[in-house]
Amino acid sequence: MAVLAMIPNPMTLVRRRWRGWFENRLPLSDQVTLSQRTVYVLPTRPGLMLGVTLLTLLVASINYQLNLGYLLTFLLAGSALVGMHICHSTLRGLAMNLIAPPATYAGTSAIIDVKLTNARRSVRYGIGLRVMYLQSLPEKKQKPNVSPANWSWTDVPAQGNSTVQVAFTPPKRGLYRVPTLTAETRFPLGTFRVWTVWRPAAQIVVYPAPEMDPPPLPPGEPRAGGAPTASASRSTGDFDGVRSYRRGDPLKLVVWKKAAKTDPFVGGQNAGLVVRDTQQAQRHELWLDFLQSGTFETEHRLSRLCAWVLQCEKLGLDYGLRLPSLELKPGSGEAHKRSCLEALARC
Amino acid sequence: MLSRWTTRLHNLPRDSRDTLFLLLVIASVLIPQLPHLPLWSGAWAGTVLLWRGWLAVHNRPLPGRWWLLGLLAATLAATWFTHRTLLGRDAGITLLVVLLTLKTMELRARRDAFVVFFLGFFCMMSNFLHSQSLLTAFSMVLGTLGLLTVLVNAHMPVGKPPLLQAAKTAGWMALLGAPIMLVLFLLFPRLAPLWGVPSDTIKSRSGLSSNMRVGAMASLALDESIAMRVHFEGVLPEQQAMYFRGPVLSAFDGLEWLASPNSLSAQPGGNANLRVTGAPVSYEITMEPSSHPWLMVMDAAPQRPELAGIQSVMLDDLQWITNRALTDVVRYKVKSYPNFNYGPLQRVARLQEFVALPPGFNPRTLALAAQIKNDPQYANAGNAPLVQAALDRLRTGGYTYSLEPGVYGNNTADEFWFDRKQGFCEHITSAFVVLMRAMNVPARIVTGYQGGEINNVDGFLVVRQSNAHAWAEVWYAGRGWVRVDPTSAVAPSRIGASQRLAPPRGVVAQTLVNISPGLVVQLRATWEAVNNAWTQKVLNYTQGKQLNLLKDVGFEAPSWQDLSYVLIGIIILTSLASAAWALWERTQHDPWLRLLEKARQQLAKAGIESTAATSPRQLADAIRTKYKTPSSACSTLQHWLMQLEVQRYALASAEGDRALTRTPNRGLRQLQQQFKSLEWPA
Repeated sequence: MAVLAMIPNPMTLVRRRWRGWFENRLPLSDQVTLSQRTVYVLPTRPGLMLGVTLLTLLVASINYQLNLGYLLTFLLAGSALVGMHICHSTLRGLAMNLIAPPATYAGTSAIIDVKLTNARRSVRYGIGLRVMYLQSLPEKKQKPNVSPANWSWTDVPAQGNSTVQVAFTPPKRGLYRVPTLTAETRFPLGTFRVWTVWRPAAQIVVYPAPEMDPPPLPPGEPRAGGAPTASASRSTGDFDGVRSYRRGDPLKLVVWKKAAKTDPFVGGQNAGLVVRDTQQAQRHELWLDFLQSGTFETEHRLSRLCAWVLQCEKLGLDYGLRLPSLELKPGSGEAHKRSCLEALARC
Repeated sequence: MLSRWTTRLHNLPRDSRDTLFLLLVIASVLIPQLPHLPLWSGAWAGTVLLWRGWLAVHNRPLPGRWWLLGLLAATLAATWFTHRTLLGRDAGITLLVVLLTLKTMELRARRDAFVVFFLGFFCMMSNFLHSQSLLTAFSMVLGTLGLLTVLVNAHMPVGKPPLLQAAKTAGWMALLGAPIMLVLFLLFPRLAPLWGVPSDTIKSRSGLSSNMRVGAMASLALDESIAMRVHFEGVLPEQQAMYFRGPVLSAFDGLEWLASPNSLSAQPGGNANLRVTGAPVSYEITMEPSSHPWLMVMDAAPQRPELAGIQSVMLDDLQWITNRALTDVVRYKVKSYPNFNYGPLQRVARLQEFVALPPGFNPRTLALAAQIKNDPQYANAGNAPLVQAALDRLRTGGYTYSLEPGVYGNNTADEFWFDRKQGFCEHITSAFVVLMRAMNVPARIVTGYQGGEINNVDGFLVVRQSNAHAWAEVWYAGRGWVRVDPTSAVAPSRIGASQRLAPPRGVVAQTLVNISPGLVVQLRATWEAVNNAWTQKVLNYTQGKQLNLLKDVGFEAPSWQDLSYVLIGIIILTSLASAAWALWERTQHDPWLRLLEKARQQLAKAGIESTAATSPRQLADAIRTKYKTPSSACSTLQHWLMQLEVQRYALASAEGDRALTRTPNRGLRQLQQQFKSLEWPA
């Protein structure tokens, strides 16, 4: 049995090929206005049941020669047909805009904001958006109607817009294109499914997941060109940009963020306070090094570096990042953090 | 109190509100069914719906699976006890209704809304077996709208949308679906039943029956439902001539009159020996379902009534019968000759059947017959004086017409002639025929309808079940069978008068009559005329009428295949039109952009190049730089371009803003008009 399980299901292969072919036909765009060409319609299972019902009603009308029965049958058929058109026009003409998604960490779900704009003078009801293929689910459960919880539903007001949030969980760090999205509606009768497939062009950066409980920051390195001193061996175990508070240190050098974390009652007054060691900082700089992160597994290393970057940023330190393929000069601030994290994501 | 309830209803969570609405719709679908359902199932349906409503309002959990299974078993058992089967039509309808209500007990997902939706339509359809009246049609439209609303509402997943919104969408769908319905209804070929419908399951409806137990017609006379409608072409015949012939009863066992076993096996039409003279009366009868194979015709119709799809033959007693029971409204054209005679001219052996009387019944009537017969004034005088003598006795002997003559015993003729001396048509006619036969005069009873009421709104003659009548036929040597109506001898007003003996009215009806007797008649006439129009136009829309429709359109000899071709043609045309529309929609651009594009093309001819990104203002500037000396044509053109710019981008004032939002296309239409009269630089 195990051997059999190894052999891929041929249908799965065919489906995957079909999906690939189908998706590659679609243009990449962050903005689409749905037209006849991109909106598909098929009857749902209740729709097929409606067909059977109509046939039964028709046969009953014929057999009992009920003219009122014909009227009922045809009224229902007519309404269902109009319903199909309403269903189709719910999506047709709808404009969808992808709002550039913010970066996210691996393992957390990313939220994609999509703005739906309705130029029509009537409300579009019951439009659902979802990531088209849910990788986390086994193949069989990917049928769109199995897990309705994944849908985000919205109504788009007349000549207005509404924003839908679509969540998806990126599998791992990296730079991804926003996954293929699908919008669907079954309004008004649920007998037809009208849907569209949309490949947004925008990309989403997924940072490595920060390590939960990272070891302390690495010791600072002597500034290039500066004479090596013995101070490196005096490391307090924290990191070399700071030292313990000494009476007389200017208050502006106290690392208050750090102070908030430590218990001031251990070791007497001021024992927990650290100040920026300006001399040390002048002599040493903090490098977060891929090769010297204290572990050997690449993803583990990246995730530790990520945690360190966040920690440094929190402490307001200058830090540099050294990866096998690139090196980022020490710095701080939001932009520096972002470029570091991006480098980690792409690594 | 009321406001508290409305707020409470308003504050219900969406699920509860939707469930309550669904229950309401189910109830409205079921209510028209109630008269045709066994009492218990109606009560059951009501109870379950109320229970479910209570659960919804109080947000209680639904009963568990074992409860439902128990209820289901109880339902099946009750259905079995009522109908002695679970299959068949009536049992099926009972089950359908009960299961529909039971289904509401497990309404959890949206899928369940679908089940209720489909069952609801089957329920409505089953109701049509009993009635296809205009009222039923109204309730059908209402039910359809309700069910559609339920489904639309179920597919509005966001928030708690007002039900009115769903109802509006449903209404639109039905309204736009109506033309499709109309086309399909007009053109869908009317086929014969695909397989035989077991007619024994069809309940016998009130009306005439194939036997006559004296006393049974008292209830019939109170039945005001319509038996048939007659549309006469040309002059209306006299009310006295309007005898619509139904079953002829000639076998008497002392208590009950039955049709002659011989007349059914008689050669169809062959030995009726019908001779007609004079001008015929042409008319068309629309007969309500009788579940009997009798075609009512006025005496005497020698030609086969024109009736599509149904075979009919005439028996030797002039009755027309069909090859199957008439379970639907049927319409047929007939030509009747009021001047006719028929039957054997000589006293043949077959006539012996019509003087037979069962032994041991009505001794006093027999004695009376012997007494009259022995009167020398009637000796060898033929049958006519004997009939006259009996009629004279009815006229002068103190006999009265009454709808409530009381219960008769075994010797009905004796009781009528000597004891009670009152009765209605069947007592009178039965006693009369017994007396005739006792005098060796061949006689029999004819049942059918007599007279009717002209509806002054549409001019149709309305014949009700209360017009049911029984009269006699007596055989005369040299003339054959002759109609004799002994009831007219007792109560001349009963025949040929519009005033009938009316049953007691209800309180409301009585009040209405007291206020304005004419109003009631008028209201009823109008209502029945509308109903008749419904019956004639819709319920009687048959294949013949379909083909006539094609003939009007221009087909020479339409067949039902032509109908299919027309239908398919219309479908293809509609599809092509919608495909063309889709194509047009795809190429269609914004009208403002198209106008700008046209202007750009004109200017390109004059050497002013521009791109799709060029704004009207830039075009105007380009004109100004190109033609340094401004001509009036140029400035008009510039002005027009600036107007075009303003139309799209600039909203000068709040007032203009409002005007533009109200009619955003009016300004554009003006610009399009002006475009035609612009002078373009060469």
